[in-house]
Amino acid sequence: MTTPHTTWHADDDLLAAYVAGELDPIGGASVEQHLTRCAECRVRIRPLVDVPALDRTWLAIRDTVQSPVLPLPIRVARRLGLPEPTSVLLAATASLRTAWLASAVVALAFAVLAAAWSSDGVIAPFLLVAPLIPVLGVAAAYGPHEDPLESLVVTAPYGRTRLILLRTLAVLASALPVAVPLGFLLPGPVWLAVAWLGPALALVPVLLALASFVGPRAAGATVAIGWSAVVLGSLRPLPATWPVEATQQVVYLGLAALAGVVLYVRTRHDRQIGAVL
Amino acid sequence: MEAIRHPGPTPDAPEQGDTALVARVTEGDTGALRELYDRHAAWLQARLMRRCNDPEVVADVLQDTFVALWKDATSYRGDGEVAGWLWGIAFRRMVSRLRKRKDVVLLSVWEGPARAQLDRTLVPAAEDQALLGVEYGDLAGALRRLSPEFRAVVQAVVLDGLTTREAGRLLGVRENTVKTRLHRAKAQLRGSLAEAALEDWR
Repeated sequence: MTTPHTTWHADDDLLAAYVAGELDPIGGASVEQHLTRCAECRVRIRPLVDVPALDRTWLAIRDTVQSPVLPLPIRVARRLGLPEPTSVLLAATASLRTAWLASAVVALAFAVLAAAWSSDGVIAPFLLVAPLIPVLGVAAAYGPHEDPLESLVVTAPYGRTRLILLRTLAVLASALPVAVPLGFLLPGPVWLAVAWLGPALALVPVLLALASFVGPRAAGATVAIGWSAVVLGSLRPLPATWPVEATQQVVYLGLAALAGVVLYVRTRHDRQIGAVL
Repeated sequence: MEAIRHPGPTPDAPEQGDTALVARVTEGDTGALRELYDRHAAWLQARLMRRCNDPEVVADVLQDTFVALWKDATSYRGDGEVAGWLWGIAFRRMVSRLRKRKDVVLLSVWEGPARAQLDRTLVPAAEDQALLGVEYGDLAGALRRLSPEFRAVVQAVVLDGLTTREAGRLLGVRENTVKTRLHRAKAQLRGSLAEAALEDWR
């Protein structure tokens, strides 16, 4: 395709006047029609416009077109209204990865099966496993050992406290929808399906408080052992539902409150949880 | 002001090159996108600034335009110039972006004194003669003689390349009204230009 108007070109003064908005509408329209057709004048108008603004816009375009398609968890988080940096951090959380969630579901499913198959309504396997899933999920969420983002997280000007709380919430939000329905498959009273949430939620602040002293791994192990001791210790002498009955729930609540206070004090002292975890 | 006249044919116009670049963009070539940006962003910026004198809006529209080009380069059918196609994307983005803003007038104010009068004789070929189906003539004068409503329609549809429907939305009139006005405006323009040509000939 050849350009029909090859003999006439807008001169630099005309182009400058056009860019400055000094042409009347008809002159401006004439220049515009010419520019649409004339590659040469399009080249000559380049130095006359706001070049720094063009460069900035190009950087924004390049960033947009070069960013890879985001993984599904990030897109889901973004769809839920979280800002992109938060979504990326969440998606990088070790315990939010498919492998971790899958293993949690499998463990829980076996616990439910074990409980359902036992003739005398032993629900200990479920009570043992279910509350520990969110706890260990949180413990794994910010462990420096397997987190590829850890070096970034440490240096990023992003509140570590906020990150930990965010990840904790995200772990709960992803583990609970799986765990609660499985709980309904348990033999025994229906309230069992949700009763285990008491210790599960109480153990999270306990874990965080412990982690502020000994780190997430040791804290996770301690909480797991402690909880196993409670469940297994109650196995013989007490009714199966003892670990999640009302009185015990109050104790867990007290523990959670105590852990909250410890965390608060530690945080006050060190400015933020992130500094102690 | 002096128009520059080039003797002889100009070097090959890069329209072919533009089309090839768009084809490369469809294959995910960011270098081609960059080249298209270098070629077209400047005049698009200038032209958009004449519609809305807000650099932030213009920068956003430019960004949207080239991101749209990146994502949707296949929608270029290759039946027109890339420049016109890009302007179509950019101007539509601007119209939809500014739809809620009442303080922006997307059509030039044709009345009132121009800040710098342009010597019409300098820009004969710049006018869109082929589009209006005339060989030569005082198109600027003819446009000037149109009523404001007609000029607005000519600008939105003929010069800025909106469809009659989009122009109707922009101007706040029905599509049929746009069509009628456009038809009459073209007839008037042809009439004026024929008269002028006749006078020239005499």
